[in-house]
Amino acid sequence: MESFTALLDGFASALTPQNLLFALIGCLLGTILGILPGIGSTAGMAILIPLTLTMDPASAIIMLAAIFYGGAYGGTITSVLLNIPGEGESAITCIDGYQMTLRGRAGAALATAGIGSFIGGTIATLALVVAAKPLSELGLRIGPPEFFSLVLIGLALLVGLVGRSVLKGVVSACLGLLIAMVGIDPVMGLPRFTFDQPHFFDGISYVPVLVGIFGLGELLATSGGAAPKPTAPTLRQLLPTRTDLRRAAPAIGRGASIGTVIGLIPGVSSAISSLLAYSTEKKVSRHRKELGSGAIEGVAAPETANNSHANAAFIPLFTLGIPASPSIAVLMGAFLQNGLTPGPQLFTEAPDLVWTVIASLFVGNLLLLVLNVPMVGLWTRILAIPYSVLRAVIFAFIVIGSYAVNNSVIDIYVMVFFGIVGFVFRQVHLPLAPLVLTLILGPFIESALRESLQISQGDFGIFVDRPLSLVFLLVALAVLAASVLSAGLKRKAGLPTDAEV
Amino acid sequence: MNRAPRVLTLAGIGLACLSLAACSQSGTTAATGDYPTKPIELVVGYEAGGPTDIGARMLAQELEDKLDATITVVNKPAANSQVAYTTLTQAKPDGYTMAATTFPSAIMTVLDKSRGASYERDSFAPVALQVIDPTAVAVAPDSDIKTPKDLVEAAKAKPGKLRATTTGVASNEHFALASLKEVSGAELAPVHFADGSTAATTAFLGGNTDVLLTNVSDLQPLAESGKVRVIGVMDAERAESLPDVPTFKESGYDVEISSSRGYAFPKGTPDEVVDEMSTAIGEIMDDPAFQKKMTEAGLAPSYLDADDYSAYWDDTEKTFGDLFPLVKADS
Repeated sequence: MESFTALLDGFASALTPQNLLFALIGCLLGTILGILPGIGSTAGMAILIPLTLTMDPASAIIMLAAIFYGGAYGGTITSVLLNIPGEGESAITCIDGYQMTLRGRAGAALATAGIGSFIGGTIATLALVVAAKPLSELGLRIGPPEFFSLVLIGLALLVGLVGRSVLKGVVSACLGLLIAMVGIDPVMGLPRFTFDQPHFFDGISYVPVLVGIFGLGELLATSGGAAPKPTAPTLRQLLPTRTDLRRAAPAIGRGASIGTVIGLIPGVSSAISSLLAYSTEKKVSRHRKELGSGAIEGVAAPETANNSHANAAFIPLFTLGIPASPSIAVLMGAFLQNGLTPGPQLFTEAPDLVWTVIASLFVGNLLLLVLNVPMVGLWTRILAIPYSVLRAVIFAFIVIGSYAVNNSVIDIYVMVFFGIVGFVFRQVHLPLAPLVLTLILGPFIESALRESLQISQGDFGIFVDRPLSLVFLLVALAVLAASVLSAGLKRKAGLPTDAEV
Repeated sequence: MNRAPRVLTLAGIGLACLSLAACSQSGTTAATGDYPTKPIELVVGYEAGGPTDIGARMLAQELEDKLDATITVVNKPAANSQVAYTTLTQAKPDGYTMAATTFPSAIMTVLDKSRGASYERDSFAPVALQVIDPTAVAVAPDSDIKTPKDLVEAAKAKPGKLRATTTGVASNEHFALASLKEVSGAELAPVHFADGSTAATTAFLGGNTDVLLTNVSDLQPLAESGKVRVIGVMDAERAESLPDVPTFKESGYDVEISSSRGYAFPKGTPDEVVDEMSTAIGEIMDDPAFQKKMTEAGLAPSYLDADDYSAYWDDTEKTFGDLFPLVKADS
């Protein structure tokens, strides 16, 4: 109850006009940064930090935090409307979000994403208030071996993403893994598939790859004139229907839990949360067959998950003093520059500030909702621009975005190359989801596997000796078995299977 | 419906400005005298918001006033700064391209032939050193290991069994383990967390490794909250932020490993330009207010001028060069 009164005091100071204004500025800036591919909220926060030094610490931190979770929403807008993922975390949203746009349902998709983001963020912040300490302990229990097994669940779910042709799905997944293998080997320190280009030593940045495959690939495909072009929704289509909301509700619930749990693990990208949320929908949703062709669940689940991930990532910061993501690390820098060391002692050293920041997370999520749902009408007006003009704007946009990731021209070439790959994928009907999944999960699987084996000094038993890891492995196995069995049963019954070669 | 397109246009203009601002923040300040007469580009080989970037941006802000010039910070975050060093060493040596140089990266990328770096030690004209962040060793608060001596003995009792974190092959932590082994014969098993110190710290706190090696600045918040016990610092002197923690040298193990951050021009930059920049950085770093700002951001101010930084570079290259075969061999 003590924390409850402290939280109320926090609300009192978070709701002062000044702090409210800074939260609003932060949300707007974050949304805009999220819209622009390549320039993430992390870079935006880093560039703004010097400006915040003259501000009151609470206002500074509130504004920076708002940029951070505003960015988690901004990426959705371009993913849904233009098929350009602003960040890795909204890549998977492109698949169903853009299909909805093609059917004139962009408004419903964006509004649902806004509502989902609000609910996801609020649930994660509630978890921070109620159970920060035990939850952070849980996050620490997930070491490299547990994380490896957890990611295997993601890979097992991949079978669900494969779609109608197993062979095509596997081709797509392998290509993603292959791209993920580029870079310096994490244990031997030797360059792999880098074409002697130091630029590729850290691997191929996935934003140019995704922007190419989705954004440019789509541009090329629609140039032929055969592919459908997006249309602006009418006023009535702007808001989600009751059916939409009923269908989105369970997806939002699952997305929020996945994002909150994954967000607790320091160092894990929120892209993983949205991927796992999407794959889970593909497996358990009642409308799983429609996913990939514009189902509301395919937008609601990942968008909820990445916002709850963003908010849950504050838990390790406040309880352990560990920056869970690059953006949080920048935020930690802001605490330090104001003479505050994040960690459990912060609650005793500067309780007013901590509770004000926590209260501002609630306020900020609400601001995002009231800002973005009414703005949906405005955003979707983008689609009213004649497509011939819009196409040129999109092209400029994705070139700038690809360059901005590392300030490097090579990334523009990478984007163009993968644009052609994306075009070919569309022509031969290869699914994109498996590639996105393996591209993003690949480096995590590899480092988790090799770190685990260094910890166990070469013994693979580490994955079954650790109880939590064993549980994850069994779940992965069950998911895999269920997919194989259900396909087998359908074949026996003479029904068309999901997976026909 | 007239209003919406106008707002859209405004939003578009805002976006364009923002993207321009993020790509390059150029300005127009003109300067008197010979140098500088145009904007100076400061290349940082790490992402915006990392410790190297924060230090560089702090300094750039002050340098703008001091030199009456515009300084543009350009992030080229790839390959542990190798891309940034390649850019620097291929730039015109006229004093308008400077790079943040960090150790071990500036030395390691040259030593490791498999990386095919196009530059070497002599391609750089060192300007000044800004930060030295020594490597330190921590264990769990309830561990039996309390001093560097305990650590060496525990490691000798079970050679290659005690697991220690590094932030990757040929990182300062990896060199530290190699150096400790050479000096004392204590063999620890490195676990490489190529993703950096967050991943290493998390794995250590979760009980996945026995020993945490990381920079003093990263350890400070953990030590304050009692999550770890710091047993020794690998530096010539004790760290200001951890006055009770002995150095390895005090315990009789001559291990001195740090990561450090400074600045360099390309080779062939006129001496007057190097001196002017070096002096300007020195004056800024002399200011107690600036020192306080750096310390609060977790950066330990340690200024060296151009000559001293050159000598430090040569010394460090020798240390790392001697240890390099060990680091690559056990990787």
